[in-house]
Amino acid sequence: MQSRWLIPVGAAVAAQAAFATQYLSVQQAQQEAFAGASEFRLVPAADAAARAAIGAPAGWAPQVFEARAGEKKLGWLIVDQVIGKSEAITYALALDTAGAVISLEVLDYRESHGSEVRMPAWRKQFVGKTAADAAALGREVKIISGATLSCRHLTEGVQRLLRWYEVALKAPA
Amino acid sequence: MSAMLQRARPHLGTLVEMRVEAPDEACARAAIETAFVEVAAVHARMSFHTADSDLSRLHAAHVGTQVEVDARTLDVLRCALDLAARSRGCFDPTMAGRLVARGFLPPPRSPFVPDARASWRDVELRDGGVRLRRPLWLDLGGIAKGYAVDRAIGVLLANGATQALVNAGGDLRVAGPREEIVHLRGAGDAGIAGALALRDAALASSGGAATRRYRDGRWTGVHLDARDGSHVGLFSSASVTAPSCMIADALTKVVFAAPFALARGVLAGYGAQAATHATRRGWRVQGRAA
Repeated sequence: MQSRWLIPVGAAVAAQAAFATQYLSVQQAQQEAFAGASEFRLVPAADAAARAAIGAPAGWAPQVFEARAGEKKLGWLIVDQVIGKSEAITYALALDTAGAVISLEVLDYRESHGSEVRMPAWRKQFVGKTAADAAALGREVKIISGATLSCRHLTEGVQRLLRWYEVALKAPA
Repeated sequence: MSAMLQRARPHLGTLVEMRVEAPDEACARAAIETAFVEVAAVHARMSFHTADSDLSRLHAAHVGTQVEVDARTLDVLRCALDLAARSRGCFDPTMAGRLVARGFLPPPRSPFVPDARASWRDVELRDGGVRLRRPLWLDLGGIAKGYAVDRAIGVLLANGATQALVNAGGDLRVAGPREEIVHLRGAGDAGIAGALALRDAALASSGGAATRRYRDGRWTGVHLDARDGSHVGLFSSASVTAPSCMIADALTKVVFAAPFALARGVLAGYGAQAATHATRRGWRVQGRAA
């Protein structure tokens, strides 16, 4: 185990970071969830009745793809976005033809506001650290630790999509 | 030619991110899938809410009855009791009754009400099972997330990862030969207030800003000094590095609650180091020099 703190002494300037990570593209998510699919057909957006039935919030606009292998329907991949206090998460929910969850993947995550951590006033506090440290601190923020994020919005988003499946996608019995 | 792969999924009430480097992509993919299964298993066994978790079965059982639990639950309980002893009760996994009473946890399905005198000393581990000496509710929220991170790292390495990162909403561990830079959020809305270079080490951060509530004229939060039930860490954040994420996770609560000298001794005993941050005062480092 090895650790070195790179922290300023005394009260200090803090930088707002634009932290963002992309994990998967929509196309990669499609391929991973439905490896055998030959086509992903975009399904028309939810109509007003379906939106009202599930209590969709304003601006709710998931992209829905029907995965097919030739004439055979394999399921759906739904790409949706949830926005929290300071973060936005785009995720993909894959459902089979019976509406069971195949997979749930975060496509990208970003903390929405602020400038970058390269802020000179912030970096100047670390004068005296090695050149390598200074370079590392100036690089993009890739890993971040601090006040724990809640995934409540994401969980609510998934529940909303599952309700929407019942209302709009499920084949009539 | 090696492959890098990263994925994030909601688990443990937060977003769990895994990043691995492995000899090839198929290997990286398989390692990540297996590690997410392990994280889900740890959550299922140690959840306070789910009806069939080890904790729920224990809370449903009568005092004095031996309840068999998963070996992983025993691992975590053993560590939690050890921490409680070393911190003289500043860290105590049996405080869930107080958090329920204050609205920070939903009441569990349990036929009894926790005894106000109950503490970690009333939890007995033996022969693969747990026995409670007084009615009490266990909450492993302050330690099990770190354990899930440790288990995931173990699975990634066992499945061929050469460099690995698991980050569960800020409780994280890195493994492999390369050093990683981790940025630290400060207290409150301080933004990025510092950073840390880590190699083969774990880091956990806790802070009251995200969860504190103003009620009846005063602030309350999820972090308690178990000795008197008072709230701690409402306006500061604590980051701890340790060899394992379970230890780091639990020690953030000790740093909030314990007097400075006691915390220093506990940190040293685990080979850990802490830095606390408050917006006005800045950083303070506790523990051995790295």
